Amino acid sequence: MAEYAPLPDVQTLHGTPPIGPTPEGGEVQVIASGWKLALREFLDNRLAVVGALVLIFFVLFCFVGPLVYHTNQTLTNPLITDLPPGGGHPLGTDENGFDELGRIMVGGQTALEVGFLASFIATVVGTLYGSIAGLAGGIVDNVLMRFVDILLSIPFLLIVLVLATKYSATVLEEALILGSFSWLVPARLVRGEVLTLRERDFVYAARVMGSRRSRLVVRHLIPNALSVVIVNVTFQIADAILALAYLGFLGFGLQYPSVSWGDMLGNAQNYVSEGYWWLVYPVGGCLVAVVLACNLIGDALRDAFDVRLRRR
Amino acid sequence: MPPALEVTDLSTHIKLSRAVVQAVGNVDLRIDEGETLGLVGESGCGKSMLGLSILGLLPNGGRIVGGSIKAGGRELVGLPERELRRIRGNEVAMIFQDSLSSLNPTKTIGEQVSEPVRLHRGASRREALERALEVLELVGLPQPRERLRDYPHQLSGGLRQRVMIAIALSCEPKVLIADEPTTALDVTIQAQILSVLDGLRERLGMATLLVTHDMGVVAGRTSRINVMYAGRLVETAPTERLFSAMRHPYTQALLASIPRLESDNTRALVSIPGIPPDLTKPPSGCRFASRCPRATRQCAEQEPPLSGDDPSHRFACWHPVDGPEIRTPTIAVRERSAAALRAASSTNGHHLLEVVDAVREYPVTAGTLMRRRVNSVKAVSGVSIHLDVGETLGLVGESGCGKTTLGKMIVGVEKPDAGRILLNGAEVFRLRGRSLRRVRRDLQMMFQDPYASLDPRMRVQAILREPLVIQDVGSRRDQDRRVRGLLDEVGLPANALERYPHEFSGGQRQRIALARAVILEPKVMVADEPVSALDVSIRSQVLNLMKRLQAEHGMASIVISHDLAVVKYLSDRIGVMYLGKLVEIGTGDQIYRTPAHPYTEALIRTIPLPDPVAERSKSDVGIRGELPSPVNPPSGCRFRTRCPRAQSRCSEEEPLLRPFGHGHMAACHFPLQPPAEGNGAGGAVAAAPDVSGAAEAAT
Amino acid sequence: MIGFVIRRLAVAVLVTLGIALVTFLLLHILSPSPVYAVLGAKAEPAAVKAWNLQHGYDRPVLAQFLTYIGNIIHGDFGYSYKLSQSVTALFREHSGRSAYLSGSALVLSLLIALPLGIAQAVRRNSIGDYTVTSLNFILYSMPSFFLGLILIQFLALDWGVFPPVVSDQITTVWGAFTHPLQLTLPIVTLAAINVASFSRYMRSSALDNLAQDYIRLARAKGLSQRAVLTRHLLRNACLPMITLVGLSIPYLLAGNLLIEVLFNYSGIGLLFYTALGNLDYNVLLAYVIAGGILTVLGNLIADVAVAVADPRIRLG
Repeated sequence: MAEYAPLPDVQTLHGTPPIGPTPEGGEVQVIASGWKLALREFLDNRLAVVGALVLIFFVLFCFVGPLVYHTNQTLTNPLITDLPPGGGHPLGTDENGFDELGRIMVGGQTALEVGFLASFIATVVGTLYGSIAGLAGGIVDNVLMRFVDILLSIPFLLIVLVLATKYSATVLEEALILGSFSWLVPARLVRGEVLTLRERDFVYAARVMGSRRSRLVVRHLIPNALSVVIVNVTFQIADAILALAYLGFLGFGLQYPSVSWGDMLGNAQNYVSEGYWWLVYPVGGCLVAVVLACNLIGDALRDAFDVRLRRR
Repeated sequence: MPPALEVTDLSTHIKLSRAVVQAVGNVDLRIDEGETLGLVGESGCGKSMLGLSILGLLPNGGRIVGGSIKAGGRELVGLPERELRRIRGNEVAMIFQDSLSSLNPTKTIGEQVSEPVRLHRGASRREALERALEVLELVGLPQPRERLRDYPHQLSGGLRQRVMIAIALSCEPKVLIADEPTTALDVTIQAQILSVLDGLRERLGMATLLVTHDMGVVAGRTSRINVMYAGRLVETAPTERLFSAMRHPYTQALLASIPRLESDNTRALVSIPGIPPDLTKPPSGCRFASRCPRATRQCAEQEPPLSGDDPSHRFACWHPVDGPEIRTPTIAVRERSAAALRAASSTNGHHLLEVVDAVREYPVTAGTLMRRRVNSVKAVSGVSIHLDVGETLGLVGESGCGKTTLGKMIVGVEKPDAGRILLNGAEVFRLRGRSLRRVRRDLQMMFQDPYASLDPRMRVQAILREPLVIQDVGSRRDQDRRVRGLLDEVGLPANALERYPHEFSGGQRQRIALARAVILEPKVMVADEPVSALDVSIRSQVLNLMKRLQAEHGMASIVISHDLAVVKYLSDRIGVMYLGKLVEIGTGDQIYRTPAHPYTEALIRTIPLPDPVAERSKSDVGIRGELPSPVNPPSGCRFRTRCPRAQSRCSEEEPLLRPFGHGHMAACHFPLQPPAEGNGAGGAVAAAPDVSGAAEAAT
Repeated sequence: MIGFVIRRLAVAVLVTLGIALVTFLLLHILSPSPVYAVLGAKAEPAAVKAWNLQHGYDRPVLAQFLTYIGNIIHGDFGYSYKLSQSVTALFREHSGRSAYLSGSALVLSLLIALPLGIAQAVRRNSIGDYTVTSLNFILYSMPSFFLGLILIQFLALDWGVFPPVVSDQITTVWGAFTHPLQLTLPIVTLAAINVASFSRYMRSSALDNLAQDYIRLARAKGLSQRAVLTRHLLRNACLPMITLVGLSIPYLLAGNLLIEVLFNYSGIGLLFYTALGNLDYNVLLAYVIAGGILTVLGNLIADVAVAVADPRIRLG
């Protein structure tokens, strides 16, 4: 904490000279600001740093990669289908003659887009819904949360698949159907957090001061509930990308010529039995790496935020 | 014959992820058979780690790095785990503070008590259960046979603690280590448990190590006391000697900083400035040097050895003191206090604050399909109090007596189910919107848990400014000036403004909380257990500060605490609550010297005094039995189930408050003092007009 | 206790109705009537109208829903016009095989995850703990079909230990049971994914309990590490797992679906997959509702089981 000026002499701070050699209330131990402490905890978690780096790498790989590594991803070329790696195609070609490495970049773009967009939708909707329920309390809360209970009891993948039979052609559609059934968990989390926060002494203290409801929400409840939301976002991204993979594998992915990693694994069974390993493992590996990275980041963030609040 | 337990030069370190805590350093102690040794120190001084080291039960990362531990002459350090297991629970047993988390929630009492017997004595299930019954009877568990099949959560805290003692005693150990055995309990229960421990020690001839932070607990129950500070033993002496002729400045200050019932509350408590050192990087010299008024350069550089002319009284200090400190400064009240008082006194005939027949009940619901209200927890049942300008009223009582709920109702965090709360004669919480917000300025609260009452995501600057912003007081510059001024007043350095709450110690946070409660210059401040979460040496700092601020700002306060001494130190008048009722109210001296209600008297008697002579002269444990459930409180007088004077009338008719002197009232059919005649106590009647009828009815 | 169960049952019935309503409405939006599946995409408008009238698809949605609910109560989940069979009959035919797959995977994963989680908690921050935690993380982040593909590649195609797909000779549970090699890969794949999440929870639950004082008191009694773990820790640490298993039913169903497709094992998952391709909405609707009911039942049973196992809830 070098940004603070050195302590002025204790004697000048207090009207009366202190009894002992320390100020009456004791020195303030300099630990670190809350965010810095969380950041330090996060950086200390090596797996999390690896996760963050992996995620950054894949974002660059998918979005900047195609600018450097030009490939043809629009016109099929029957002459060069299913080539093994080598000879200008480091990861070979697929059944349409597209360069697999370039394909992974393009597919990654959509996978990441859907993941981020779906988790964004889920988080925004869930946070609003959950905080309304938690703040309103009583019968409103009851009705809102029973609705969440009901939706949560419908198996996620099944209902999403059913919807995907009609709506899964574009990135937006896929993000919407995934988002529309994944806001439930954040809604529950945020509501629970708001309910516990409401009973915390510092919120009582603000009420005693005469704080308006809106101020309570903006200054105390939201900032304190934020860490739960942030942690959840990363898990949401991971789940959305996984769900996308399932949709693709079962054949309900994006419409040709758009493609996502999941769609590329749609024929994986045949590829494996025919020995076209380069069409399965590189793209699968990328998918696992990104999901793993998100999970690691989320886990580390949760620990980091926990430490900050638990520190006494 | 070797001592039952002998520890020599023991050092224990605990490895954390980033640092090593030198929790215990070069500590010696010995306990003979049948003796009780007190081990006293504040939290984090290493006393618990010492206890855990003896049994080899250190937490992860904990390790004994040097020294020896001998039980009955047998070395325990370095003993293989297998051998050590035979000693644990058999020769050396241990009890812990928290009886709820210390008992397995999914096993019956019988199973848990009989387990060590089966293990060490090789008893059959049946024999072990018989033995369990025997020890449960020994520790005074009522109806032990029925309790064998109960689960821990079905018992109250005091009974659970008895069960834990029974577990420890089941194999008749030679040494018992009791780690804060009564800290989580109410005083009346604490007295019972301590006397159970004491009786058992006498009967079984065990050596007992009583680990505690409370000087009162060790005063009457030990023959010797070891005082620990920051991982070191600083003084060891026979009990009486330690209290009357201590040599270490820490011992001296620690004793002087405890508020006492009999002392004059216009004098400030002695306080130890600062906070204990960080044991991950302990200072090289005397560990107390930075807080010691006698410290010199030598103290900072060289660590004093434990020495002394008398081998039974040794201490670690370069500049020892001689007996207890006499100096008790009067409270420094600044000039403006009187003016503030005058300015605030415009009450036009009303009390500043009046609570009339406040009732608060929390519903208990049940039902198969529709949740319906079947009963209620009677938190507060018709309590009336009043408070005048500049006055401090203390509310005291055991947990569950409704004192916190009453405090929350006064500041409007809880709504009373019935009754009124009047500020200057006006019912404040009938107000809405802007006018309510305006009134709230006059009623502020200081909370118990310094870790929960400050928003962890706000800087201190924002925390302290918040009341001013909400109430829209002054310009931004005025607000900042006031924040800085008050921060200085509560004794925190200016660099605190930029920091977050987690960077402060508990005592410092309580200072911030106090500043926040005071910054609006409220007419009434409610302080709920303001110091119970703090260590003794920090406690007196905060108490002194509260006392000073009360006087300077001319605030009236309501101080809520389970600790009668704390309440008496801060207050002019004291109300005693029991199970949702106000049973007695009067000035501090009236309550302490001439209590009328048997509960008040028992409460005073059960408080452990930091005075070995007074403690030993106590004849009995005060109150028997457990607190009844607030869901179904006893009929008539709620205290009758535990009252030695109870008669049939007490269960039939509820006693009402009646006067016993000027402003002194109690609700008892068979009081310890004769009540005042007729309307003789006019002051009291006028003070609480709703009670006058009751007083007449009673006489 | 009985009141508790009745109350939970009532809530469960309400939630089930809610699930049915939501699913029904969603599916109704996707496909208001199966008429085109029956009469062909180019059916005459008049014929369509007549068919709808005949089969009640012209009525208001809510009326249709009530009829549907009434039928469900009588065990009738509608008719698959694509497969020309009642959905109930289809389920009856396929569900046994799926239950065998899910059930064995669940049992296997619990048998592995519970001891594994405790062992990790006891040896926390050891190399073994780190290894298992990392493996768990990877498994947890892996689509189940991808894990299945890897297993097929090595164990089936390269080394030929197991068949790459389940033989279509396996038509009964008994058949599956007597030909263990056939179903080894699907069960292991499904179990592995569950082990990842179960043992993570078990580890943290065991850690929470290890930090409690009662463990310290048990050690202070002189119990051996083993006795502390089996007599004191195990039961308490497993309590939250009951709830978790109850909550994992939707994931088991999803896992079933993917694994059945991957290994071409003819359970209800595969039935659902075929229905997705055929747009056989009655099957889809029935399966989603059945999944919802299973989920609710799972939660209900878990709640009751926890109440039975935990005296703090049982005895209030």
